[in-house]
Amino acid sequence: MSTERHEIKMFTPMTLGLLILIIAGAVSVYKRMTLGLGATTNLQDDFPWGFWIGFDVLGGVAMAAGGFVIASAVYLFNMKKYKPIARPAILTAFLGYLLAASGIFLDIGHPFRIWHPVVMWQIHSIMFIVAIHVVIYTTVLAMESSPMFFERIGLKGVQRFVEKIMMPIALFGTLLSTLHQSSLGAVYLIVPDKLHPLWYSSLLPFSFLVSAIMMGLSMVSFESILSSKFFKHKADMSILSGLARGSIVAIGFYFVLKIFILLSGPGLGAAFAGTMESRLYLLEMAVGVIVPLILLLLPSVRNSMGSIFLVNCFVIVGIVINRMNVSIFGLLRHAQERGVSYFPTGNEFMVTLFLVALGIFLFKFACKYFNVLSYGEVKN
Amino acid sequence: MGTNAIMEKTATDPAVRKMEASFLIDTTKCIGCRGCQISCKSWNQNGTDKTTAGPTLTNPPKLNSKTYTNIAFYESEHNGAITWNFSRNGCFHCKKPACASVCPVEALVKTPEGPVIYRADRCMGCRYCMLACPFNVPKYEWEKLSPSIQKCNFCYDRLLAGMIPACAKTCPTGTIQFSDSIEKNLTEAKKRIAENPGKYHNHIYGEKEAGGTSVLLLSAIPLDQIGHAKVGDQVLPDLTWKYISGIPAIIGVVLAAGIGSWVITRRMKNMDKEDEQ
Amino acid sequence: MTNHWIDLRNADVILVMGSNIAENHPIAMKWIMKAREKGAKLVVVDPRFTRTAAKADLYAPLRSGTDIAFLGGMIKYILDNNLYFREYVANYTNAAYLVNPDFRMPGQLNGIFSGYDEKTRKYDKKTWSFQMDDKGLPKKDMTLKDPNCVFQLLKKHYSRYTADKVSDITGTPKDKLLEVYKIYGSTGKPTRVGTECYAMGWTQHTVGTQNIKAMTIIQLLLGNIGLAGGGVNALRGESNVQGSTDQGLLFHILPGYLPVPSAALVDLKAYNEKYTPKTKDPKSVNWWGNRPKYFASYLKAIYGAAATKDNDFGYHWLPKLDEGQNGSWLMLFDQMSKGKFEGFFAWGQNPACSGANSNKTRNALGKLKWMVNVNLFDNETASFWRGPGVNPKDIQTEVFMLPCTSSVEKEGSISNSGRWAQWRYKAIEPIGQSKPDGEMIHELYKRVKKLYQTKGGKFPAPITNLTWNYKSKDKEFDTHLVAREINGYYLEDIFDAKDATKQLGKKSELCTNFVTLQADGRTSCGNWIYSGSYTHKEGKMINMMARRGKTDPTGLGMFPEWSWCWPLNRRIIYNRAAVDMTGQPWDPKRKVIKWNPDKLDPKTNKVAPGWDGDVPDGPAPPMADEKAGKYPFIMRADGMGAIFGPGLADGPFPEHYEALECPLQENLMSKTKINPAVKLFHDGKGGSPEDVFFSCDMRYPYVATTYRMTEHWQTGVLTRHLPWLLEAAPQLFVEMSEELAAEKGIKGGEYVKVKSGRGEVKAVAVVTKRFKPFKIAGSTIHQVGLPNHFGWQFPEDGSGGEAVNLLTPTIGDANTMIPETKAFMVNVEKI
Ligand SMILES: Nc1nc2c(c(=O)[nH]1)N[C@H]1C(S)=C(S)[C@@H](COP(=O)(O)OP(=O)(O)OC[C@H]3O[C@@H](n4cnc5c(=O)[nH]c(N)nc54)[C@H](O)[C@@H]3O)O[C@H]1N2
Ligand SMILES: Nc1nc2c(c(=O)[nH]1)N[C@H]1C(S)=C(S)[C@@H](COP(=O)(O)OP(=O)(O)OC[C@H]3O[C@@H](n4cnc5c(=O)[nH]c(N)nc54)[C@H](O)[C@@H]3O)O[C@H]1N2
Ligand code: SF4
Ligand code: SF4
Ligand code: SF4
Ligand code: SF4
Ligand code: SF4
Ligand SMILES: [Mo]
Repeated sequence: MSTERHEIKMFTPMTLGLLILIIAGAVSVYKRMTLGLGATTNLQDDFPWGFWIGFDVLGGVAMAAGGFVIASAVYLFNMKKYKPIARPAILTAFLGYLLAASGIFLDIGHPFRIWHPVVMWQIHSIMFIVAIHVVIYTTVLAMESSPMFFERIGLKGVQRFVEKIMMPIALFGTLLSTLHQSSLGAVYLIVPDKLHPLWYSSLLPFSFLVSAIMMGLSMVSFESILSSKFFKHKADMSILSGLARGSIVAIGFYFVLKIFILLSGPGLGAAFAGTMESRLYLLEMAVGVIVPLILLLLPSVRNSMGSIFLVNCFVIVGIVINRMNVSIFGLLRHAQERGVSYFPTGNEFMVTLFLVALGIFLFKFACKYFNVLSYGEVKN
Repeated sequence: MGTNAIMEKTATDPAVRKMEASFLIDTTKCIGCRGCQISCKSWNQNGTDKTTAGPTLTNPPKLNSKTYTNIAFYESEHNGAITWNFSRNGCFHCKKPACASVCPVEALVKTPEGPVIYRADRCMGCRYCMLACPFNVPKYEWEKLSPSIQKCNFCYDRLLAGMIPACAKTCPTGTIQFSDSIEKNLTEAKKRIAENPGKYHNHIYGEKEAGGTSVLLLSAIPLDQIGHAKVGDQVLPDLTWKYISGIPAIIGVVLAAGIGSWVITRRMKNMDKEDEQ
Repeated sequence: MTNHWIDLRNADVILVMGSNIAENHPIAMKWIMKAREKGAKLVVVDPRFTRTAAKADLYAPLRSGTDIAFLGGMIKYILDNNLYFREYVANYTNAAYLVNPDFRMPGQLNGIFSGYDEKTRKYDKKTWSFQMDDKGLPKKDMTLKDPNCVFQLLKKHYSRYTADKVSDITGTPKDKLLEVYKIYGSTGKPTRVGTECYAMGWTQHTVGTQNIKAMTIIQLLLGNIGLAGGGVNALRGESNVQGSTDQGLLFHILPGYLPVPSAALVDLKAYNEKYTPKTKDPKSVNWWGNRPKYFASYLKAIYGAAATKDNDFGYHWLPKLDEGQNGSWLMLFDQMSKGKFEGFFAWGQNPACSGANSNKTRNALGKLKWMVNVNLFDNETASFWRGPGVNPKDIQTEVFMLPCTSSVEKEGSISNSGRWAQWRYKAIEPIGQSKPDGEMIHELYKRVKKLYQTKGGKFPAPITNLTWNYKSKDKEFDTHLVAREINGYYLEDIFDAKDATKQLGKKSELCTNFVTLQADGRTSCGNWIYSGSYTHKEGKMINMMARRGKTDPTGLGMFPEWSWCWPLNRRIIYNRAAVDMTGQPWDPKRKVIKWNPDKLDPKTNKVAPGWDGDVPDGPAPPMADEKAGKYPFIMRADGMGAIFGPGLADGPFPEHYEALECPLQENLMSKTKINPAVKLFHDGKGGSPEDVFFSCDMRYPYVATTYRMTEHWQTGVLTRHLPWLLEAAPQLFVEMSEELAAEKGIKGGEYVKVKSGRGEVKAVAVVTKRFKPFKIAGSTIHQVGLPNHFGWQFPEDGSGGEAVNLLTPTIGDANTMIPETKAFMVNVEKI
């Protein structure tokens, strides 16, 4: 079957760029591990969580939502059409989670105690719930991705067995993801006095879940298009416009949800108050919700790969802004009242870049050596 | 003594075990001598940071991993009359502490006697407690490679040994009044407000904040004017618990929906196939 | 203190003026807080808004150095509004006494009293006297109307201190001024009592003693002395400064406030003649009439068997001052700077930082051959030879360091401001080779004595004849033996002079108290006021200072069984003034003492009229008793509280003068600008350049003062080493108003330079609402303030800054010579 895999050149300028980022980032990781958080980050008592939690963990996990969205579409809703993108989607999710977990590993003060929650349970803690989910879901994703590995090393029997039981695995994965994506929103339920009312809401878990689904759909679509460009295989337009239709539903729902939250919370005025927060809120809504929704409602957009790609970008950026708003910008006001502010250090950026570059590199690596992209085509 | 060791130690005196440790801090009595700040450092053998004088006398400027309590100086002027308020910062030992509720590993716990204490050997350093605490109390040893959370432990070791906390013991003016009952302190606080019209801002900070705390503050002016966070009355852990307790239901729904759709879509696909045939 | 710390809680009005009790005596502040809880009013008068002011019901600012104007205005207010306690004033003070008709006051003589000699800058006090009748008693006018009576003179003198004038001088807004007067004046009623708390804010001025005198007048007018919750209360400083002054630490007094003899007093008789006040008034107790007993007992204590009647009990071995010689701090360092000393013991002090005009002080140290520093730590004094701007090669002084133990590493007594001598025990063993100060002195004495014995000397007798019995069975140096020597022993059996069957004391037992001391050498007593502190009861020795009883029979917080208090365990002195002439308390709520005609003697169970309550100022019946009644102020020869006080060097009534360095061209009160009786080290034209001063000089336009803060102790040697305290108060700062900062473009937190005519320091600017510019005679005058806790040596990186005494002038109070470190002129510059 290896013959049917696409020819992927490992040594391209892009790979080189990635490798440079990885090496440079590794230095930053090393610094963090040897000098500690205080010396390498701008985290501080009045701002204990920063860019890594906002982008690497919240953003990363949202981006990885494609895995469970596609897995449930294919294995639960039986939408065979999407099977070709299942493998890349799940692999992305797997890598996404690994990297988010690495982000957490680097962010916590005692990285080597990352296992503590597994044995020291505290069921009142969202953090505990999240931690357990990450652990189990990463395992699930590993199982979901394992067929291509078994396939590669020639254990056809095992591969087929795993594929047979994929439905319960996928079901379990979906369950975990649902909980996990929403739990990340629930993390902020405890800070009603600190998080800006534009974002604080008892519906945070739900809005995190819905936006994760949006994000998942866009991410999968985005990846398909990108990999088709980079790895020179043909993207399936029907898949893409199918995903786009799904996005309309998700984004539409999210839009209604956000408006409901706004109106039942701080009110419309808050969104136009002219403060930093209101601007960021409008930006998040415009980029991630309103523009994509309008665009997607145009059939011409839904049928153009380029336009879909653009919409995907909007959604992804918009939701990332949302996660950053919740985790950083929405908390800045409170910090500023206490006389501090936060902007990540170069080192923090570098560590994030390291994780992102590593993710892309591993994905490419997997595409080259495993049957990631052409699986569906081969089957058909 | 590490807090862990304290935790394991059981006081023999049953009276100690029955107590509900509480402070009534009446800032109108405070003379800003900072005896509490220093004695806390002394008892806990906490270190120091290099500070500089000015712009105000507050030093260290904020609570930090080496400072469990400090006195903040606030001066203001109304119609030419100057007031200088001394405000004591520190852990409130919430009745339902957000910090302990969010800690994934039970490193922070509310003890039966009231103090919210920390067990360093469990902590993984996620700092969720810092985010969660509405009063911004837990502090981190950022400069260390193997950091711990630091905060007032209500002198749990002293309490178990039958002594009152170091800061309360030192306070020359009775600003920090220790009691073994929150109720008693609350009654006293209400009495002071009632008996001294005009002396107090009519609010007992901590009575309702965050669902009620073991430390009650009285002051001549609103406490948010002297550095205390405006905190709502909700029991914060409840906000999360509402969600967590819904998880079984979510699981039920997701499983049902998942299996249901699997069955249904399977059928539909099969029907499609049959049609095709 | 006439009263004691706990007694502050009994006051109705507490005036804190000249001190900052919340910051410098924080434990005592709790009694003020207790008083406030019961409805008392706290009034704070201070150039800056302090932590005490933060708790005050009323705060009034005043420009440093203008307290007499402020208080003079209050005296006028009290008199004008008839707020004084007439019965008390007429009967218990010298208000009714007629003064020498030749006496003239500053209002008549351009700011000076009669008798001034410009050349010597001294007063001839001949005219400051009372008119005497033929019985030798002062003439009185009980109606207080005679124009020559003290009361009328007082009224006349302070009639110049109008509220407007006072406000112009002090910068205190007039409404605040009147508010303070009104509140404080309210304590002139028998049932209302006001107390005053002062310390260095009043003493460290060229008019320091007169500041206190002015308050004493007010307290006497309002009848606030002797009562619980009253008094003029000096909040003493260094932990045992009360004890050390009691024990004769100062150059001019021997233990128990016995004057140091001068060379002119050629023998014991001459001494007793001069220092034993006499009265012809049978109603006056005139306690100092007992001086010869105390002096003889003192001499017996120090010279033991060598002291005999024939050799005047060793009087001739006592060191004598030259006539008029002043041996106070400023003089010592002045002499030192002129190379008049070979050696110097800096024993438990840090003059390189604490002495006014530190540059002069530091230079003076370099003129010594040797210096011994006895301290817990190295400090700026011990290391002066390597201080800033000093080249060690230029210094020839040999410096020795003797490490002493800290207060918790040794046993002994410590006397607080309320005159309570409390015994303290050793808590921990001394570190390393450090020794208690007593042991070092003991060792030093033994060696010096040996040198005199073996090598002779000019005058060995004073040393070789000293008794030195401090070695006990188990200790080379035993503080208990010192304490007993201070208390005194009966050297023979003593019997009552009137009733020879009544034995007062048993030979070789400890004295019961000073009442039984003798002038003929049969008793010894190291310090008469402490007699009774360590006694024999039923054959057993009792250290009264170690008592820890917690009973409070009067309910006034006197705790008579807690430690021991001089004199005779009397908790409130002049307590006979707390009752009316029949012995009934002025205020039934404040029963300090009370005459009880039906009192039962517990031993005989027979009626023996006497006093209930505190130990009274003498057992005699109340003043109204025709035969045996006595006046209340027993330490005064005439038995009266002195409103007119001829004892002071600079006038019998306080008069406002400006500080040596002040912002004004002239004194708004008179043509005499500064206290005419102060010793000038530099007359403004000539003198040592180190002693220069600049008054009303554009180069130094701002009034400056210095003070303490809770977080540090004195020059900081004990506290700058403590990281917790240093963290809380890390550096020298200069507090200034927002207005001055704006004028100078200074932001809070910035470093600035503060300069005076004598030196400069770098300090962090603390810009605060707590300082406000003063309106003085229509123009704006700024004041700044700096804490006195820092020095170049610690913290090691120099971040603490330098001693503020680099700025202060060489000038002292006319009576005590305490340096004027509370009011001088500086400039503040951005760096
Ligand atoms: N924490 C601490 N406590 C101490 C000491 C210490 O170093 N640290 N030192 C001890 C010693 S030795 C002493 S003597 C005492 C001194 O005790 P205080 O006299 O209370 O001490 P200061 O702070 O020097 O001065 C008191 C106040 O006088 C004000 N002041 C300045 N000039 C004037 C003036 O002209 N008139 C009036 N009315 N007020 C003025 C100052 O602003 C200051 O607030 O404190 C003792 N207690
Ligand atoms: N500008 C300005 N100057 C001032 C004042 C002011 O208000 N303003 N205040 C003045 C006043 S009131 C005072 S009292 C003086 C104080 O002036 P100093 O007495 O010279 O200053 P301290 O820093 O108290 O020095 C006491 C020293 O004794 C040491 N010591 C502590 N315990 C012991 C012991 O048991 N034995 C021995 N041998 N040494 C011990 C300490 O380490 C310290 O070095 O400063 C005066 N100077
Ligand atoms: S104040 Fe903060 S740290 Fe203290 S118990 Fe409450 S939540 Fe926890
Ligand atoms: S930082 Fe430590 S104490 Fe705080 S929540 Fe995390 S594990 Fe618990
Ligand atoms: S209770 Fe103990 S730990 Fe807490 S502030 Fe007081 S002294 Fe410090
Ligand atoms: S010890 Fe008491 S009076 Fe002093 S600063 Fe602390 S709370 Fe205030
Ligand atoms: S330093 Fe000592 S004497 Fe002064 S207030 Fe504190 S406890 Fe009292
Ligand atoms: Mo002093």
